Amino acid sequence: MVDMVIAANQARVNVTWAGKNGDLPDPVSFDATDGDVKQWVTESVRTGGIPGIDGDPAANFQDFVVERYNATAEVPYNRLFIRPKTPFGE
Amino acid sequence: MMEAGVVIAGGRPIFWHLPAGRTGGSLPDSRDLWDVLWEHREALDGFAHSHPGSGWPGPSQTDVTTFLAIERALGKRLKWWITSRTNMVLLAWDGRKPDSPTYGSTSLRGDEEPEWIWKLREHSYAPDPKIGGTIVVPETGERVEVLSMGQAKRVY
Repeated sequence: MVDMVIAANQARVNVTWAGKNGDLPDPVSFDATDGDVKQWVTESVRTGGIPGIDGDPAANFQDFVVERYNATAEVPYNRLFIRPKTPFGE
Repeated sequence: MMEAGVVIAGGRPIFWHLPAGRTGGSLPDSRDLWDVLWEHREALDGFAHSHPGSGWPGPSQTDVTTFLAIERALGKRLKWWITSRTNMVLLAWDGRKPDSPTYGSTSLRGDEEPEWIWKLREHSYAPDPKIGGTIVVPETGERVEVLSMGQAKRVY
């Protein structure tokens, strides 16, 4: 886990890639668009900028989704999770 | 018919994927499914799901882009089975185009189908599992009698 100060309008970003999981070192705006969040995450993974995730120049988050969770009593800051999409069919 | 899925790990079904919002043509995006795949990633073999109709099924664009996204997140290749009412195929990454979701398909004969397939077909095609019914696999003649929701037996 990365130590960071997260303002009320910001969020911690958690990323899963290549069997590893880690947090973006810096918080982002909680209302950033999915496209912006995926772009920042892509750049960070490609350059090895996320602790716990090996740098991968081929990282591609095109078919991943951004999930948003508001702060709670148990987790007092907003969170964004980047995970692969899982629909099948049409 | 309602599409259904199952996560396979260590050669066995570990999670029947019957989410709210599944339809006769799709399974919705699901955080729960991803959590299961991630939790069991070490022993994970793959995922099977059903398509409507009979004959040899093929993957949709949604299917193959989901296959690739999950494999990228897990850092491992998986087996992807798709079944219709009568036939089953096994898809796997063919590696020819690293940035394109290209998956090769192998048709499975009746005796090559995994033993858990009857249960996936029950969850998918039984017209009303509460009432019961019989599913017949044409190629093998195997009959699967659905006794009630969650219960079925092979009838030879």
